[in-house]
Formats: sequence, C-alpha cells, structure tokens
Amino acid sequence: MHGAPTPAAASAPEDFAGLLRSRGLYPAAPVAVGAHHLAHSVVPTEATTILAFKFADGVLVAGDRRATAGNLVVYDRADKVLEIDKWSLMAIAGVPATAWEMARVLEHSFQFYRRSQLQEMSLDGKVRALSKLLRDNLGMVMQGVGVVVPIFATHDTEADVSRLYFYDAMGAQFEAADFTATGSGSPAVRSVLHYENTWGSKPLAKRKEEDAVLLALRALDTAAENDTATGGVDRRGRVYPIVKIISKAGITTLPEKHLARLFKRHVA
Amino acid sequence: MTEEPYRWVEAIANRREYIEHQLAGGSPIAALSYADGVVLFTLGRYRQKIFEVYDRIAMGAIGHPGDIERLRMASIEVTSTEGFARSAQDVSLRRLANYSLSPLLKAAFEQIYGPPFLARLLFAELGRGTAPDSFLRLEYDGSIRANGGAFGRTMDHFGVVSGTAVSTTKMEEFLRAHFKENLSLEAALKLALDAWTVGHLSLDGDAAGELPSHAEIVRHRREQLESAAIEAAVLERGSPLPMTWRPLADADLRAQLGGVLDSRA
Repeated sequence: MHGAPTPAAASAPEDFAGLLRSRGLYPAAPVAVGAHHLAHSVVPTEATTILAFKFADGVLVAGDRRATAGNLVVYDRADKVLEIDKWSLMAIAGVPATAWEMARVLEHSFQFYRRSQLQEMSLDGKVRALSKLLRDNLGMVMQGVGVVVPIFATHDTEADVSRLYFYDAMGAQFEAADFTATGSGSPAVRSVLHYENTWGSKPLAKRKEEDAVLLALRALDTAAENDTATGGVDRRGRVYPIVKIISKAGITTLPEKHLARLFKRHVA
Repeated sequence: MTEEPYRWVEAIANRREYIEHQLAGGSPIAALSYADGVVLFTLGRYRQKIFEVYDRIAMGAIGHPGDIERLRMASIEVTSTEGFARSAQDVSLRRLANYSLSPLLKAAFEQIYGPPFLARLLFAELGRGTAPDSFLRLEYDGSIRANGGAFGRTMDHFGVVSGTAVSTTKMEEFLRAHFKENLSLEAALKLALDAWTVGHLSLDGDAAGELPSHAEIVRHRREQLESAAIEAAVLERGSPLPMTWRPLADADLRAQLGGVLDSRA
C-alpha cells in the first residue's frame, strides 16, 4: 500500500489529518499559483442552496441538485447532503471539489479516531473537526476558488437530541436553534423558514415528518424561483432534491418516489 | 561476534526461543465464518484483544500490549490512508499483511540488536459479495499462514491464534472436524467457545496427544467462564454502512450462550 509503516509513526497516535499530512496525502491549496491570476481565469464549479431545520422527530437536511460554474449549469444530479457516519450529516454549499474532499477527510477522521482510540469521538470533537478543516482551507478561500459553507447535523446520543450547526467559510461554528440555510438561494429559504416558524400553522420544531418534508420542498422551490444557481425540480428527468433525516434511529434518506408523490400533490 | 554466520543463526534461534516462551501463556483467539459474517472470539481477564482495523478487517492479538499496540496502529494507519487515497474497495488484508506488516515484523525480528515484536496476530476479512472470508495468522518473524485455498489445500473457513504451536494445531484440528457452513451466530459462538477451550486445554500439551474429550471440554469451559470475561465481535455481511464491525457485550453473549452454560451434557 504506502510501503511498510514506520514503528515511530505507529507509536504516536495522531489525528487523521496529521497522518495524511505526514504521508503527503492531505488535500491542500496549491501554493505556487498566484491568487489574482487564478481567481480571474478559473470559474469554479459551485453547489448551491442547502437547508436544515429541527422538527418533531429530529433534524431534516435538504439540498437542491444543481452545480454551477458562473452562469453554466455543470451538473443537475449533485448530492450535497453527505453521510459522514451513522449519526452525522454534512451538507455543502460552495465548491464541490473542496467540499467532497473535506467530507472524505471528515468521514475518515471519525472512523480513524474510533478505531485507533477505541472510543467514539465526542460530539464537540466532531463539530470542531469540521471547523479545523475549514480553517485549513483558508488558502483556497483567499484565492477565491475553494469557498465551502457547510451545515453539520448530528444526533447527540448522550442527551438524545439532534443538533444543528452551520459554519462560515473561515471555520467559525454556530449552533442553530431552529433552522439554517447556506448557499446562493439561502436568502429566500431563510425568509420562508423564518416566516413559517414565526407565523406559520405551527413552529418548525412541532411539525410532523410529512409537513417538514413538504416545507423543505417548497422552500427549495421558492429559492429556485429567485436564484438561477438553485436547481428546481426537474419533472421530466424526475430529479428531486435530496432530503435526509437524522433522528435517534440514525439517518434515513427519503426515497425519490415518496418525494415525487408529495411534490405532485402539494407543491407543483 | 555476530558477524560470524553461525553466531547470527544462534542468536536468531535464541531470540525465537525467548519470544515463544513469552507468548506461551497467551489465551487463544478463534475466528470463523457464520451465516451472516465473521465472528471473533476469546476469553480474557485483563485487556482487550480483539480490534477493528478497517471496514471489513478485524484483528485479534496475543503478546506484549506495547507491541500489539504498535502493530494495531500500523494496520489502522496503512488501511485508512489507502482507503482515503484510493477507495475502501482497494483495502485488502492480503496486501496489508504481505506488503506492510510482514516485512516490518521480519526486519525487527532479524535485526538482533533491536527489539523484536512480541506478538502474534490473527486477522479476519469479510469477503465481498460471494468471495469467501479470509483468515490469516501473522507471526512475530513475519511469516504468514493464510486460510488456504491455494496449492491444492482445501480452504478453511476459520482462523486461530494461540500461545503455543500445539495449542494452535489442536484448535485447527477441532475446527476442521466440527465446522459447518451457514452456522447461526449462536452456534458459531458455541463452536468458537469450544475451540477456545480446546486451545486453552492444550497450551502445554504435546503434539501427539488426542483432542480433549467432550466431558473435559464441558468441564473446563464452565470453570473458565466463571472467572474470565467473554470478548467477541462480528463483521456483519448485511451491514447497511460500509463499516461492518460490531462488538458484542459480555452480558449479551452470556445470554446467547445460556443453553451451553447451563447444560450438564
């Protein structure tokens, strides 16, 4: 694989990012490239509009499917809601090249920690791990090519509640009380969620699963109405947003058929 | 002195004798395929001996805890970096053992001014799809004994590791005689417990001796279960996640083995 391991490295347990760095495998910003040159000649692919909110059973995380580069649609089946482990989801808005690699590092970090330290990483540890990855990515952010603004949702198995965090591109972490949304379509989504939470039929935290899913679909559809970078529902191609739910039972992905039925009946 | 070939061979022989002596008391570990995956099993008193390595790989180890720890970390590092840099599908037990661990162990064993690894490892890998599960024993000198299938040998669907060569052979003999395919988890645990008992009974037996009788096994396993903790884990074929490792708790194990523990037969 990567040659015989050295006993020296084996005797000092280090975190996974450190291990990758020592093997030259850590995904990092190209240092030699001039920032101005890059920012003007490359239009990075970006993934847009993710949202998450707490409802009666846990946390719902949803994302549209469009990836864009400038005014081009690059991909219409992007999956921006990524499963990190049995209890954690990371949703991404921003440059997928960086974000997917970040998710990969994160997933492996949690597993590596559990396997090497023989205990699960704490919730705070997991939340911090993503923050650290974002900070490590600062070089790419400054060059304007690798901005990632993620949402992290996880179930706190100790307190038995689902928790929701969002980050800025530099790694600051914030715990969301009710809902959060990031990406280019997020102003519309946040408005919808705020309105529904404050003056809607019920606060978000009291809604049942079907209502919650419906609200997510409607919010994303509203974002697509206003923002060209957010993909709406492709009825012909049957491409629906990705909707996942974290509860005490773990992560469930809503089947496309179910979303299609709800969409047809209540959104379209 | 060791520049002379004879001295070197003598030093290696001494070293082998010393390590064998150190490992001789090691409590056996048995691993075997069952209907839904692979189970690893041992009885112990002091510390954890069965570990998760990667999505489909687990290990059991006897020997010095410091050395086991170094080899365990090395295994986790090699598989994790491979799984990250390429993909989880590219991680294989064969490559881990042959290309990474075996050379490391051999080098440490033969550099007679440095310390060798006082450890003997058992690895199990859950086969993908219809591929059979792999079991592999790695010795302190880097030699490997896989569960076969090659060179006209029939394939064993189990692997064992124990303190002495006699004990290891007896466990293999016992499992070869009693292993059946598609065992339930409960039946697999019971078979693993009996294989462990055979191994434990023959730690200081002689190679020519018979396998312990059924009555002996029943008596010995009851005695041991009273004073030792059961440690077991499974790699589950039907796991919805890429990760297949699931440790089994002592209390649950005792409940599952209940019938065996109570029976006087």
